[in-house]
Amino acid sequence: MENKLHVQDLRISFRTSNGKVQAVRGIDFDLAKGETLAIVGESGSGKSVTSKAILGILAGNSIVESGEIIYDGQDLLKISEEDFHKIRGDKIAMIFQDPMSSLNPIVRIGRQLTEAMLLKGKIRQRESRNNFNGYLKRLEEQMAASAPDAAAKARAGESCKKFEQFERKHTELEAAYNMAHEGATEALDDIEVIAFELEKNTVAKGAADRIKDIARRSRESLNKYVVDPDRYKSEVESNASELERSFRAKNYQAVLKNLYRLREILTEGAARPEPNFFRMGYYLTFSGKPLPDKPVDQLNDELLAYLQKDFMDDFLADGERAMAWSAAQCREHIRTAMDALEKARPVFAAETLDKKLCTDTWKSLSDAVKKTVDPLAITKDSVVYTFSPSMKSELDKYFHGIKANVDILRKHEKEQRKHDAIVAKGKKPDWEVAEAAVTDLELIKTNLAHIIDRLTEHYRGLLDSAGAQDYRAETIAAIDYLRDNASGIVAKVTPQLARQRAIKLMEEVGISEPHKRYRQYPFEFSGGMRQRIVIAIALAANPDILICDEPTTALDVTIQSQILELINKLKAERKLSVIFITHDLGVVANMADRVAVMYAGKIVEYGTSEDIFYHAAHPYTWALLSSMPDLDTNEKLTAIPGTPPNMIYPPKGDAFAPRNKYAMEIDFEEQPPMFQISDTHYAATWLLHPDAPKVDPPKAILDRIARMNRRREAQDA
Amino acid sequence: MPDQEPLLRVEHLCQYFKAGSFVTKAVDDVSFDIRKGEVFGLVGESGCGKTTTGRSIIKLYNITSGNVYFKGVRICAGTQKLKEELKATKDPARAAELKEQIKAAQNDQKNCDKEYAAKRVEELKARYEPLLSSASGEEKTRLSAEYQNELRKAKNTRLVTQIQMIFQDPIASLDPRMTVREIISEGLVIQGERDKKVIDEKVYEMLELVGLVREHASRYPHEFSGGQRQRIGVARSIIMNPDLIIADEPVSALDVSVQAQVINLLDDLRERFGLTILFIAHDLSVVKYFSDRIGVMYYGKMVELADSDELFAYPLHPYTKSLLSAIPLPDPIYERKRRRITYNPLAEHDYTTDLPSFREVRPGHFVQCNEAEYRKIMAEIAAK
Repeated sequence: MENKLHVQDLRISFRTSNGKVQAVRGIDFDLAKGETLAIVGESGSGKSVTSKAILGILAGNSIVESGEIIYDGQDLLKISEEDFHKIRGDKIAMIFQDPMSSLNPIVRIGRQLTEAMLLKGKIRQRESRNNFNGYLKRLEEQMAASAPDAAAKARAGESCKKFEQFERKHTELEAAYNMAHEGATEALDDIEVIAFELEKNTVAKGAADRIKDIARRSRESLNKYVVDPDRYKSEVESNASELERSFRAKNYQAVLKNLYRLREILTEGAARPEPNFFRMGYYLTFSGKPLPDKPVDQLNDELLAYLQKDFMDDFLADGERAMAWSAAQCREHIRTAMDALEKARPVFAAETLDKKLCTDTWKSLSDAVKKTVDPLAITKDSVVYTFSPSMKSELDKYFHGIKANVDILRKHEKEQRKHDAIVAKGKKPDWEVAEAAVTDLELIKTNLAHIIDRLTEHYRGLLDSAGAQDYRAETIAAIDYLRDNASGIVAKVTPQLARQRAIKLMEEVGISEPHKRYRQYPFEFSGGMRQRIVIAIALAANPDILICDEPTTALDVTIQSQILELINKLKAERKLSVIFITHDLGVVANMADRVAVMYAGKIVEYGTSEDIFYHAAHPYTWALLSSMPDLDTNEKLTAIPGTPPNMIYPPKGDAFAPRNKYAMEIDFEEQPPMFQISDTHYAATWLLHPDAPKVDPPKAILDRIARMNRRREAQDA
Repeated sequence: MPDQEPLLRVEHLCQYFKAGSFVTKAVDDVSFDIRKGEVFGLVGESGCGKTTTGRSIIKLYNITSGNVYFKGVRICAGTQKLKEELKATKDPARAAELKEQIKAAQNDQKNCDKEYAAKRVEELKARYEPLLSSASGEEKTRLSAEYQNELRKAKNTRLVTQIQMIFQDPIASLDPRMTVREIISEGLVIQGERDKKVIDEKVYEMLELVGLVREHASRYPHEFSGGQRQRIGVARSIIMNPDLIIADEPVSALDVSVQAQVINLLDDLRERFGLTILFIAHDLSVVKYFSDRIGVMYYGKMVELADSDELFAYPLHPYTKSLLSAIPLPDPIYERKRRRITYNPLAEHDYTTDLPSFREVRPGHFVQCNEAEYRKIMAEIAAK
């Protein structure tokens, strides 16, 4: 599965007047595409801090001590604020805990909902165009470079031009079809609601708006492949206007009659098979003949045959050759880069680093590494991409540190002398000399070596797996990528379209009378409704990763489950990756594919949701599970005694030990490592050590699991 | 138990809010009893009127119509329904009767506390006067001082103070500029207690009762964690020795681990003092765990009321069914297969001809339904 987000060894502290609060103390996790990762823990366990770091909105007094958050080939901890603007809200969106403070009180809801769509619409268009043109150009270059003879070279240029030409036609056709089809399905949904209300003899408030929408959308749905204008144009037209007229006249019988007829037409239209516009685009652009008049299935086959014979077979073969060639080139560059890395290693391992030499080496290495990026690769290789910036930031830290350390040490010595002088007089000073906060130069050097190691290893892996590549599949993926971007170019967001989408989103998140609500201000909404708006705003930009920070804590069960279902649905439809932060394990069972339990800034247990709920291994997870009642709990709840530790002075051993009734002596002495229980399941507790006594989970949990098994069996039977 | 006089009886409680010409029926014709010593759960989605019900009972609002009886005394009475009937009626005898009722209701609404205080004063007089007349010398001055003190307190007594409330948000409901001692003792001071020693003793006792220590008394609320703050809220409400506590979502704002602490605390207190609790919440698992009987509210109406086990085993109203189907369970495999039942009142009920009413379908199990639905429900029960 494709990895979307990679967090490694993240450590974040906050400077406060009382000392440094260590909020996150070294956590690692991955997030795959289309996966939900739940982070569970008490307040103050560092789960919100982690999510804020991913979004780059940490408080001003925060210090990122180490770690990296890698998304799309860049380290989010190191990129500039300007670059973050492109990611935040668009690629990574967040649903905040408190809906009141995340809405602008003096801007209407509708404006807030469409703002991102309108802003990002243009940017996206531009981005898609750049992607499309850039990639096509690279493809053409590689095709020409790999061509065995002059004829093939000429063909490469020509076919890429051709591809661009007919792709434009294809997206035009498809956009028109999509609009019509969407209009038909949406009108059908509305017809369903209105017809139901009219049959029951009740006309709700938004009915007039709905009728207007139905009329408009039915007109929009006229398209050769949805509602055929040749056959139905006049009928749809007359039905729609009749519908509006009789609704104004309150003649509901006539309204119903018209609705039924429209429903028939639209249902038929929406159910028609979709022709393949990619093939059709090619045919219409280059064959110079009108489309053969045949049913859609046959038409598709015929067009495919034409496309393959005339263009695609050659194009694929050329593409495959280009792929193979560029990969081979790339491997050459990798070998050179590996040599360069090996040679550069002593430069960074010297006793004291030489600034000039290091900077030069860094520059030449960066160039060498840059060359190893395959121009035809679609996904960015994060290890290669982050090499140069991470190296640079470590070097900067080192050379800044060398200078700063001298000052710091001098200052510290001065303080110490002052302190000593007072002590020598026989007095006891009421202050102490703070430890000198020098930069650890050795640590930076090991970090540098580590960066080089990692890249070398990564390269070695790439070289080893060289033979296993399927260039045909990669070419097809490349063509898909081009097609996606081409449709991004024509997807224009007009204010009207944004409004329509916003209203649809509002309906989707369960806000009644969205037309009216669209024009209201946040204070006119109740808490639950506000939270829905926040969710709708987060989803409006169609993000890649959605971070939900306790999104349903303030909501009641029915709405909670509606919203969770909504997030699940959108996740499946859009292949969203979700990070779900909560303290409520009941919610997690529904949502999560994997669960990470956090305590005192560390992940203490990590596994699939089955692992966590049926085979929990860490005492803290047990405590969390047994402190919440379910529907069959009768015995006294086991609350966790005490409070989480003060993170200015984090405990030496296991942070949970003082509250843990299973704690052993070693728990107070030494931090437990992550023990692997199964391929997917890890827990950090000494109880899993082979020498530890065998401890069973608390009875309440075992009972509950037994009960759950019985219920499932009963349900299956 | 069933024959026992209920501690709190709510009859046809209506609470309407006017905004211009538009009337919001926040609570509409809700009736229920709470018996002594039980926990009555009130559930429903946000905006369904469960908090308004709680607040109306404690007289934070003047109710629109209906009656609330506490220990057999009418503490809230609304008159709107009676007035409407008075306007519509043509029978002079009935009109006179209605006028009488309205007058009584207005009197009770306004004066129930005064009457209660007067009764307490009478009781004190009856107890102390013979003692005073028989005593002499030092004994007499002591007794007389005590009598004056008690008398002052009695005059300040309100019947409603025997109903206390715990609020949802432990941060917002504590005054940040008062120490814990001041917060907890405020009720006592208002009631007329002036003796510092008595107050301190009482405060320490309460703090220890809710699992805090004496030293906490001189601190300020911001120095406490969420769970501890909620404990302060609990201490503040039990210092008045209430008979009924209205707990308005006391654990919704807390972490799961702390939730368990507060629920356990309320459970202990209930056992020790025989407290009666009206527990308002939206977390059904917690309500199920904690309550003896549960009322389900939907858009200002009570739609179902039953013993908690009964309600969860045999939900009858379609809204209750949908509510129960939405409860998240800590069981991933089951959750993946779960189907939520949606409730669409327009599709479920046909109330165009036959209006619904609150009917008892099994002993102690009430459902809001009309005649046709009643027959259907009875058939459903018979089938089981």
